Amino acid sequence: MYGFEALTFNIHGGYLEAIVRGHRSGLLTAADYNNLCQCETLDDIKMHLSATEYGPYLQNEPSPLHTTTIVEKCTLKLVDEYKHMLCQATEPLSTFLEYITYGHMIDNVVLIVTGTLHERDVQELLEKCHPLGMFDSIATLAVAQNMHELYRLVLVDTPLAPYFSECITSEDLDDMNIEIMRNTLYKAYLEDFYKFCQKPGGATAEIMSDLLAFEADRRAVNITINSIGTELTRDDRRKLYSNFGLLYPYGHEELAACEDIDQCVCHYLFQAKEICRSPSASPSVIGSYAIPWEMLMSWHS
Amino acid sequence: MHFPPPSRFLGQTGKERVEGAFFFFPSATSSFLLRFPVGDLNRRIPKKKEGSQIAVVQIDYLEGRMSGQGQRLTVVPTVTMLGVMKARLVGATRGHALLKKKSDALTVQFRAILKKIVTTKESMGEIMRASSFALTEAKYVAGENIKHVVLESVKSASLRVRSRQENVAGVKLPRFEHFSDPGAGDTKADLTGLARGGQQIQACRAAHIKAIEVLVELASLQTSFLTLDEAIKTTNRRVNALENVIKPRLENTINYIRGELDELEREDFFRLKKIQGYKKREIERQLQAAKQFAEEQFAEKVSLKKGISINSAHNLLVAGAEKDEDIIF
Repeated sequence: MYGFEALTFNIHGGYLEAIVRGHRSGLLTAADYNNLCQCETLDDIKMHLSATEYGPYLQNEPSPLHTTTIVEKCTLKLVDEYKHMLCQATEPLSTFLEYITYGHMIDNVVLIVTGTLHERDVQELLEKCHPLGMFDSIATLAVAQNMHELYRLVLVDTPLAPYFSECITSEDLDDMNIEIMRNTLYKAYLEDFYKFCQKPGGATAEIMSDLLAFEADRRAVNITINSIGTELTRDDRRKLYSNFGLLYPYGHEELAACEDIDQCVCHYLFQAKEICRSPSASPSVIGSYAIPWEMLMSWHS
Repeated sequence: MHFPPPSRFLGQTGKERVEGAFFFFPSATSSFLLRFPVGDLNRRIPKKKEGSQIAVVQIDYLEGRMSGQGQRLTVVPTVTMLGVMKARLVGATRGHALLKKKSDALTVQFRAILKKIVTTKESMGEIMRASSFALTEAKYVAGENIKHVVLESVKSASLRVRSRQENVAGVKLPRFEHFSDPGAGDTKADLTGLARGGQQIQACRAAHIKAIEVLVELASLQTSFLTLDEAIKTTNRRVNALENVIKPRLENTINYIRGELDELEREDFFRLKKIQGYKKREIERQLQAAKQFAEEQFAEKVSLKKGISINSAHNLLVAGAEKDEDIIF
């Protein structure tokens, strides 16, 4: 029933919407960034930030500030806000919010597995993980001897389990390059997220499918460009492209065949033109394609 | 019984033989000094040890001065010694010239290295800034954790540094150079940041490689700088020692030996003259005695003719003073 969603919306989402609006107004503006550019030392930056929402997090830091400390504290603020929202959310919003963290979870798992392979200390590795991607049994990842055990013991309880079982067999896990594993998992995650967003329908499906399509295409182009000249074969490349998005399926075929940045740009231009001509394209999509075009141009030059 | 030292030792050398002055000597000679009482040293001729020079054993002071200009070596003032000292002076002069040339060459190198260090340091500042910024860009695009991801996936360094020796004007300078270790895994074909940030990561890697090049060069320059500084100091020390201590000492020794030899010659000459004088006087005396005897004989002969023996009369008178058994007075 379109148009009457606003009647019942506030029951579940009213508080969080208000909070999100508050955060929106707390984002740093262009004036803030100008001020930060004028700063000479780290103490100046701390002073400017104390007037923003990041103030309370930076107040208690002792005087010889370090850049990593500032970054840590600001990330901490993000994590705190996120956790607060997660606590207040009900289904299906809570699942949606959790989906946002799966990407970071994948990064953390890959980091710990690599570190364990090279015999690094578990505590150090845990400190290096991204806070948004932590889950309870993450420390036990270091105990597993090989990938099969890893999956059986640890990952099967996490929300990442379906990504592993769908795409990767246990022999693959042992031989695979760590980056390829990360990207395969991420592909599975994107597809899963896409499917999840289609279910509620309405505004969620519309907006999220645009965003996720853009993300998938951007990844495809990135993977193509970054794998030129490396040992990644075309078939492997093809396997890493997600099976949704505006470049799917024909654009992917073209991209998989590219060996050169110039070819890539040509195909991308062609695809983008096709997309922009097709009736289903919305202005936001076309706008979002403009940004990676700039990035491509900077690579090319 | 302690005889005073012969005058010739006191005439040329210092008026005072200060016992305490010997503490200047290197400790190797102190045992030598302890074996003999100090008072005897004035007369002692130093024994030559195997292989060592006599010269280092003792050093006299000219006219009681303590400065290096006034010192000379104590040696036996013979002609062979003079030859030896002259040869050593020639050696010292040549050595001095060579060391001076070496010192000048090293100083030229030193200045050149200093200039290079200044420019390299400036460029290092620029390059380090650029590479730090490249790292920040990579972090921005590929996520904050990129540093940890890269660190975890590396087993051993692929870019290494090694050192070798270079010979510059006789001084061994260390030189560092970097080389890429082929066995330590692929660097170009790394798949880090495949989905996002790959380009930035490669750019960051290139910037840091350049930074390493500059740093390695700067390290070589600075170590050469320090080594050259040491070498220049040592060489200058030697040049100054030769110029201000060794050569004057040798020259003074040579002058002393010449002086002694001249004095010996004069003594001999004097002795000869004296002996000649004695001989002449002896001859004259004998001549005088002979003449007198001849005169007396003549006078005797004359008196005998006259009937008197002057001699015997004399003898009686003289003999009367003595006891004679025949005379019963």
